[in-house]
Amino acid sequence: MALTVISAKYPPHIDPTKTPLAYGSRALPRLKRELNDSTLLVRQRAVMALCDHLHDPEHIAEAFRVDMEPSEDDIGIAASLKKLLSDPDITVRQKSTECLFIIAGHAIGRSAFLDHGIIPVISKLFDDKEDIARKNSHMAIEMLSETPQGAEGIVTAELVPILVRKLKEEVDEIKELILDTLHFCLRVDTDKALKSGAMEVFTELLQHSSPVIRAKAARDIMDLSVILEGKDKAVEVEAIPALISLLKDESPDVRANAAGALMTITITTRGKYTAIKSDGIQPLVDLVDDPTSEVRAYVLKVLTCLSEAPEGRQILLNHVDKIKQRTKDSIPAVARAAEIAVKVIEWKP
Amino acid sequence: MAAVLPPKSTGTYTFASQPRAVQQRKKYRDPLAPQQQQQPQAPQYGNIMYDRRIVRGNTYAQHTLPAHAQPDPIEIQRTQENRRRAIARKRAKEQLRPRSPEPVEGRKHMDVQTELYLEELSDRVEEADVEIQTDAFLDRPPSPLFIPAKTGKDETTQILEGDLFHFDVEVKPILEVLVGKTVEQSLLEVMEEEELANLRSQQRAFEELRNAELVEQQRLEEQERRHREEKERRMKQQREVLRKEKETAEKIAARAFAQSYLADLVPTVFGTLSDNGYFYDPVERDIEQGFMPWLMESVTEQLKKSELGRLVLDGLLREVAKTRRELFDKLDVAKTPDPTVATSLTKESSTVEKKEMPQISIEQQGAPATTTEGEEGDKGDQEPEAETEEQADEEGGGDE
Repeated sequence: MALTVISAKYPPHIDPTKTPLAYGSRALPRLKRELNDSTLLVRQRAVMALCDHLHDPEHIAEAFRVDMEPSEDDIGIAASLKKLLSDPDITVRQKSTECLFIIAGHAIGRSAFLDHGIIPVISKLFDDKEDIARKNSHMAIEMLSETPQGAEGIVTAELVPILVRKLKEEVDEIKELILDTLHFCLRVDTDKALKSGAMEVFTELLQHSSPVIRAKAARDIMDLSVILEGKDKAVEVEAIPALISLLKDESPDVRANAAGALMTITITTRGKYTAIKSDGIQPLVDLVDDPTSEVRAYVLKVLTCLSEAPEGRQILLNHVDKIKQRTKDSIPAVARAAEIAVKVIEWKP
Repeated sequence: MAAVLPPKSTGTYTFASQPRAVQQRKKYRDPLAPQQQQQPQAPQYGNIMYDRRIVRGNTYAQHTLPAHAQPDPIEIQRTQENRRRAIARKRAKEQLRPRSPEPVEGRKHMDVQTELYLEELSDRVEEADVEIQTDAFLDRPPSPLFIPAKTGKDETTQILEGDLFHFDVEVKPILEVLVGKTVEQSLLEVMEEEELANLRSQQRAFEELRNAELVEQQRLEEQERRHREEKERRMKQQREVLRKEKETAEKIAARAFAQSYLADLVPTVFGTLSDNGYFYDPVERDIEQGFMPWLMESVTEQLKKSELGRLVLDGLLREVAKTRRELFDKLDVAKTPDPTVATSLTKESSTVEKKEMPQISIEQQGAPATTTEGEEGDKGDQEPEAETEEQADEEGGGDE
């Protein structure tokens, strides 16, 4: 999980083990009180202890139970963390974002995110000058976006154009997180991303040196081109030749997602003809026997789409035996896709 | 000044330096000094008597530059030859030297140390051993560690058996707690990550299916759309064909009707046109338009002339009659009138007429031969006859 590019640099004088953690059910109320302390050192220690403490799902539930019955003099843990996000100290900011990331991994945490309106506050940290704070905040947002409600919250907070812009200028490690976040957001709404020029950015990222980013960019193109405008846009920005060249990539993820993106783009007639003209059929046919089932399924779907065009059918009639072998595939989805492909290729008017 | 300069330099030699205090000689040798001394410090003032840049002695005997400042060409050639020879010699020497084989493609030779223990060769100064005996020079002893003077009183205490804790034994429970907590925490984190990874893989498998199905659905939708469009297009085409067929049938009917309608048009048109005189014989038309008017004109003229002749004749006759009558009257006055005279008178008048005829025929010279021929024959006849004949001629001309 932890890469070497961005690393947390804690102040040397803080030893989180020194934080006295109150016993049992008193632990969280005390931490909560300390989170709002005016002394920097106390806040730092509290937030670090909280970070370790929250790894247990039971403790998260307890933390929000504490929130449920707020005493009159202080505020809940989610609200305190929200306040700490704008703390001047980097350790506090970084650790509070990490806490939020852990919380966002659980359903009650995500609902708390939406209830307390933490999204806009955490999105301010996208401009933080410390890499680790930005990374943690992106991680939290990414975790939040995995559920439809969270993704909807992000879309309504107008974060999609910001994320697309950040995608151009961020460091690679954060780019991966942003691509993941956008992947989930695109399920909810594609218009905003299309308008903010996401397709161009993704197409550019297809040439990235990191296979993970290439794979995720291809997957996001697939998500973005689910709607008709996206498909047309993809043809316009010449994503198809780039995707076809990715079909020969070493990483199976990249191959699978590139095939997936082609699969969604070639639904339209324009997409089909562009793919046929860029000599996409041969590399696709080569991938029919790929060891990854995802690649096989997607490639068969692309071939099905391409064979709907007369030119594509003419070429694919030479390879129909190879595809027929796939109908006996061990994965039922692949076998079915192969059956449909054979049916479409051999269709006669 | 130029005379003392070395021949190569062109400008005058100048030298300037900051004034600087004389360095004090140190009392002790500094243990760190040898390293510092190696580095070139401020330039030392040397004895100018040994400075190579300064000319010493008499300058008269030295080689002076010629006035024209142009070196001798022979001299230049010699020096150049010398230099070339030196370079050639050097190259020959270098080639003669045994060399290591050429490096493999993509590599190059490096100087390496082959000793067992490598040492850094930071600088290589040419060294020469020179010995000199100096007075023994004492090294400065290292400064002794500062120990403050002891203050206060010494105290002692007795530690009995069991007073001090046994580390190995006592540390165990603490260590166990520490390790236990750490392991617990790390287990929690690992489990969390594992759970996330499991969720992701499941999500991925689901997504694979979902994407494939989504695309299948979209593909079928697209297919359906294309089929619908094709159907509509076909229908439109069919409709167009029908419309065209109908139009063609109408056109054919109209054509047939028009043909039948126009079948007898041409003869009618020709009939009407010829009736209206659009088709004519040019000779006939020329006769009608040019000849007949001229003929009529000439005939009229002719008639006018004959009339005039008749008038003149009438006048003559009247004159003759009148004179005869007067004569007769005079005679009558003398005797009664004789009827035979009257008859002879008429005869005379007719002879007069006959006598005058040739005169008239002579006058009719201008008329065309064709007409005069016919008329000349008539001229001999009496006047009323000629008149009628001419009228018949006119009618005959019209018939032509």
